[in-house]
Amino acid sequence: MRASADRCGFRATRHGAIVAPVSEPSITANNDAPRRAPAALARDALGLGLRIAHYGYLFEHWPAVGYFEVISENFMGPALPPRQRLDAVRARYPVVLHGVGLNLLGPDPLDEAYLDALCRLADHVDAPFVTDHLCWTGARGLSHHDLLPAPYVPELVELAAERAAHVQRRLGRPFGLENLSSYVEFRRSTMTEWEFYTSVVRTAGCSFMLDVNNIYVSSQNHGFDPLDYLRAIDFSRVLQVHIAGHTREPDGTLVDTHDHPVVDAVWALYAAAWRMGGPFPTLLEWDERIPPMPDALAELAKARAVRP
Amino acid sequence: MSTRSAPDWLAALQARFGAVLRTPLDRSAGSLRADVSAYDRDALDDALDGPRRPAAERLAVYNRQYWFRLFGVMQTAFPLTARLLGHWQFNHYAARFLLAQPPHAWDLDRAPDGFEQHLDGALDAGAMSDALREASRIDAAWRRLFRAPATAPLRPTADDAARLLDARLVPSPAVAVVVERWPLLELKATLANARGESAVALPPRLADARWWALAREPGGVRHVALEAREGELLTLLGRHTVRDALARLEATCSDAERAALPANAQRWLARGIERGVWCGLTTEPDTGDDQGITQL
Repeated sequence: MRASADRCGFRATRHGAIVAPVSEPSITANNDAPRRAPAALARDALGLGLRIAHYGYLFEHWPAVGYFEVISENFMGPALPPRQRLDAVRARYPVVLHGVGLNLLGPDPLDEAYLDALCRLADHVDAPFVTDHLCWTGARGLSHHDLLPAPYVPELVELAAERAAHVQRRLGRPFGLENLSSYVEFRRSTMTEWEFYTSVVRTAGCSFMLDVNNIYVSSQNHGFDPLDYLRAIDFSRVLQVHIAGHTREPDGTLVDTHDHPVVDAVWALYAAAWRMGGPFPTLLEWDERIPPMPDALAELAKARAVRP
Repeated sequence: MSTRSAPDWLAALQARFGAVLRTPLDRSAGSLRADVSAYDRDALDDALDGPRRPAAERLAVYNRQYWFRLFGVMQTAFPLTARLLGHWQFNHYAARFLLAQPPHAWDLDRAPDGFEQHLDGALDAGAMSDALREASRIDAAWRRLFRAPATAPLRPTADDAARLLDARLVPSPAVAVVVERWPLLELKATLANARGESAVALPPRLADARWWALAREPGGVRHVALEAREGELLTLLGRHTVRDALARLEATCSDAERAALPANAQRWLARGIERGVWCGLTTEPDTGDDQGITQL
């Protein structure tokens, strides 16, 4: 997940809109939907990241989708319109939470007020699980609003694991850590990313939120075999797999932009993951140049086709 | 509690990395480019060269992402202001603001908080600057409406009526009062459906200022025209008791307006209650926390 995409029309994009346009679509209330859909996901469920750009179609057609994933921070504040939209979605679909602001590897202690709000939201939607990233997002009181890598060293395994275990205890429900896309490696690292990632998850007793696009992006940027990464994963601990598109810059660097369809190489990696440890819930993220919802759902449906 | 502290070396590394992120992008070539020559030597030493790029260029990916993400957030938060300036010039002001007030909160949507005050101080005198100040206040009001929590509108009881004069009406966070000297709300509505980054022309100044109540409703934000004195009263009521607000308004009225004020004030108060302009009645002084009425 990119740190910002849908909120600002960018994350608002991360995310589309802090400003409610006068013409923002309203919710069609006349469907005979149940009061609330069951929370549990099928193990092979296909889900889509909930984005404002899709609200118009979604609230009119309520298409068949296994579940939605929402960016936690977009719904943790007091603002009423996002909560109304979320409740309408939750009435018909299971909803899982995906955060971008936990700052697990930040130098400051975890923000307990943030966790309070996250717990309230998870309880509100009865999320089957909650995920965030194995990264840091801010330091010394500043928030950088990006998913930033840290050196991969045993000392930080212990730090991250203790904090992740704490988060899972606070939530009282499964908590998964997502692997990053990254563009830099640190001189200080003494472990591979997958050694670090698997060690944190194992030590914490939490779960993997495995992003195969991120594995592919980082493998191309840093020169490792993405299958080596997958072979290190204990798939019995995978809560969900993310798929997404990325951008290739002229020098071959890949950037995790979530603004294109999923490339064949990532589909191939997804199929390999499925062979190694499927079934698992699969979620498509699309944060920029967001296509109409039927097109996004068609892209998501390819997951079934590529499964071995 | 999560008790374990991060090691000192990590905090130092992250401080250096954070400084790289916040390094201003170079505008001199007419596009926004990372200036890797400005990166701290130790931050460069922390990173390894990659198969395709040296360490500095790898860090530059994050440097660009930091700024472009925040520019996007700022443009979304202040769409009218951004289009009046054009995105290129708007980003210039946004960068100065974000350097002075880098984001602190986990909520990305709070990053633009206070930009309208920053812009107020950054702009020169002149009509265009005044219009931009007005535009930024309208954008800020719009943001506050969207972010407001659910509140129940004030429905005064007989007891409330008895203590009304010496109480303060608490503005609903879902309603804002704004004044415009240029037809900016109209322009804002037009721009909502028009993508673009270039500066749009400022429409001609209005002959008379227009007052509006902006109210968040399920379908979006509705704006309702107010009489000028009505708008002034609603603004005063956000800060003062009803008695004081009426006195302050009366002091600025002409004789004719003063004669009509009792009846008009009754009508404006009734209309305000009907529109849900207030969410409570209090004897507590204004703390400045009430965000519902735009301060002019």
